[in-house]
Amino acid sequence: MALIQFSPLTLKTFKRFRSVKRGYWSAIIIISLILLSLVAEVFVNSRALMVSYEGEWYFPTYGAIIPGDVFGLDYQYETNYRDLKQKFNDEDSDNWVLLPPVPYNAFETDLTVGNYPPNAPSFETQHYLGTDTVGRDIVARLVYGFRIAIFFSLFLLICNYVVGTAIGCLMGYWGGAFDLLFQRLIEIWSNIPFLYVIMIIASIIVPNFWSLVIVMLMFSWMSMTWYMRTATYKEKEREYVMASRALGAGTARIIFHHIIPNTVSIIITFIPFSVAGGITALTSLDFLGFGLPPPTPSWGELLRQGIDNLQSPWIVSSIVMSMVLVLTMVTFIGEAIREAYDPKKHTIYE
Amino acid sequence: MSKDVLLRVKDLKMHYPIRGGVLFRQVATNFAVDGISFEINRGETLGIVGESGCGKSTVAKAILRLYEPTSGEVEFDGRDIINMPKGDLREIRKEMQIIFQDPMESLNSRHTVGTILEEPYVIHGIGSRADRRKWVVDLLDKVGLQSDAVDRFPHEFSGGQRQRIGIARAIALNPKLLICDEPVSALDVSIQSQILNLLVDLQRELDLTLLFIAHDLAVVKHVSDRIAVMYLGKIVEMNEAEKLYSHPVHPYTRALLSSIPVPDPEKKKVHDVLTGEVPSPINPPAGCHFHARCPYAEEKCSKDRPELKPVKDNPNWLVSCHLMDNFIN
Repeated sequence: MALIQFSPLTLKTFKRFRSVKRGYWSAIIIISLILLSLVAEVFVNSRALMVSYEGEWYFPTYGAIIPGDVFGLDYQYETNYRDLKQKFNDEDSDNWVLLPPVPYNAFETDLTVGNYPPNAPSFETQHYLGTDTVGRDIVARLVYGFRIAIFFSLFLLICNYVVGTAIGCLMGYWGGAFDLLFQRLIEIWSNIPFLYVIMIIASIIVPNFWSLVIVMLMFSWMSMTWYMRTATYKEKEREYVMASRALGAGTARIIFHHIIPNTVSIIITFIPFSVAGGITALTSLDFLGFGLPPPTPSWGELLRQGIDNLQSPWIVSSIVMSMVLVLTMVTFIGEAIREAYDPKKHTIYE
Repeated sequence: MSKDVLLRVKDLKMHYPIRGGVLFRQVATNFAVDGISFEINRGETLGIVGESGCGKSTVAKAILRLYEPTSGEVEFDGRDIINMPKGDLREIRKEMQIIFQDPMESLNSRHTVGTILEEPYVIHGIGSRADRRKWVVDLLDKVGLQSDAVDRFPHEFSGGQRQRIGIARAIALNPKLLICDEPVSALDVSIQSQILNLLVDLQRELDLTLLFIAHDLAVVKHVSDRIAVMYLGKIVEMNEAEKLYSHPVHPYTRALLSSIPVPDPEKKKVHDVLTGEVPSPINPPAGCHFHARCPYAEEKCSKDRPELKPVKDNPNWLVSCHLMDNFIN
């Protein structure tokens, strides 16, 4: 027996998912983007990929900063690799610097005397989408902003689903007073205006990534409980659950081995929409200024800048295009998953 | 016949409250099972027959405490099941198992047959991984399936094969009592007899006691030592299998038996055709539950509820009818 054996139902679902082309390709692109964003430092960074100086090789991308005097410069702070490259070129020596395709990070301001940002896109300065109002590279802001937004929404999703599924399953499985109590609690809790609470919290503490995840979790775990509660109510009366109970299985075993594997389609179908929702939520909070504090690269803050500076259309157009592309692809994935789990196609076995 | 009682059920009741209105007050009660008593001796097979909705399956599930009965006593092997704490119940569930009607529903379609059959051992933490795999193959062999079934999924099997898997799971822990809740109703007639024979063989081989529930009288007759006839949550007649068929007493039993088709075109049969529908268990009629459909009903039938009483002082022959003396012989 193979170590991991996918049920033929799972394989069939995956096959159907693949048959929806745009969803399948969107999934590949989004997953690649997420994986690439993990190593974004290699593509978008002010640190060089590689420096060859006096016969020695340096790889500054990851690790501690390398002070300028290592490369014969007259300062102790971190080397400016763009200047270093310029210097080596001018000296016409054997030393060389390999810079990433976009040689800026998300925090540095590229300012020169007599130059007032925002600057329009330019290949010459390697600001391919221009700079924002304080002279930071927009590509770098977009890439690192994407990384934060997507991981924020993935973490939020995992927390939401763990809490929501656990409570929803127990509501459905235990029923009775527990179910009734949580139903009313959730109804009351859902009516607390989320935005006010965020504003109050943001005015007391400066939110960071994790505190924002927790605050968002507190107000968004509820939606999953309803779906899981209903599904559990339906599944627990089925005879395979009865059979397992008759064998002496406990609540945990029945929920994890029987109910969740049979209701996983509900959970998976909601994932892409939750991801889109998470990105949108973080972006809107940042847009309003209640999200992650500056100078964290963030799409919402970029959107805010873009709208305030419509005379510099490269800002607003790049952020809007990015959002439209990412959210559309995520929605395509969601549509393909929904199609793959379509119950109308479930009963046919080839 | 030596009395060695394995399962004793006494006055078992399963009532469901029906709530309605704004305040969800209890507005009515569904008397699904309304005072059932019987005993099963070790090694014996008791059949329960009755129409759909008469409470047969509810009895089965209440005995296993898959449903919590409203009241009554269930004594298994001398131990009280109804008031048993959860931990002990888990242990005793090794000894009483159930086979369900629909073999597709009763097997988790996301697990392989190997996983399904391993589950009893995993739940009770018996044996190592290798042991369990060996036992699963033994089980498959016992119910007449190939050992390559282990890695396949339930939907790859036919209905009869799936039911064999269900049986294999039920006998995995060597139970004493096997409750068969309409085990062949969902199967083709040709497959039914195979499964019935398998059950009879296993009973002999493993020394099982069976509680066999069905609505098909011919099926029940084939396997049972004694038969109980249920109508609307109550037992109306109970007798040894052969005698029940040769000497039915209760008018309902007689109507049921006369409805069995006889494969002989020459033979003309007089049917005791029942009129009307089974009354709802939510508002069962006063008096004898059957009086509204009974062709012999008298006035007292609609007033007093008859008790289940032995006939001719034979404790194995019980009938619940005011007029039973008229029907004996």
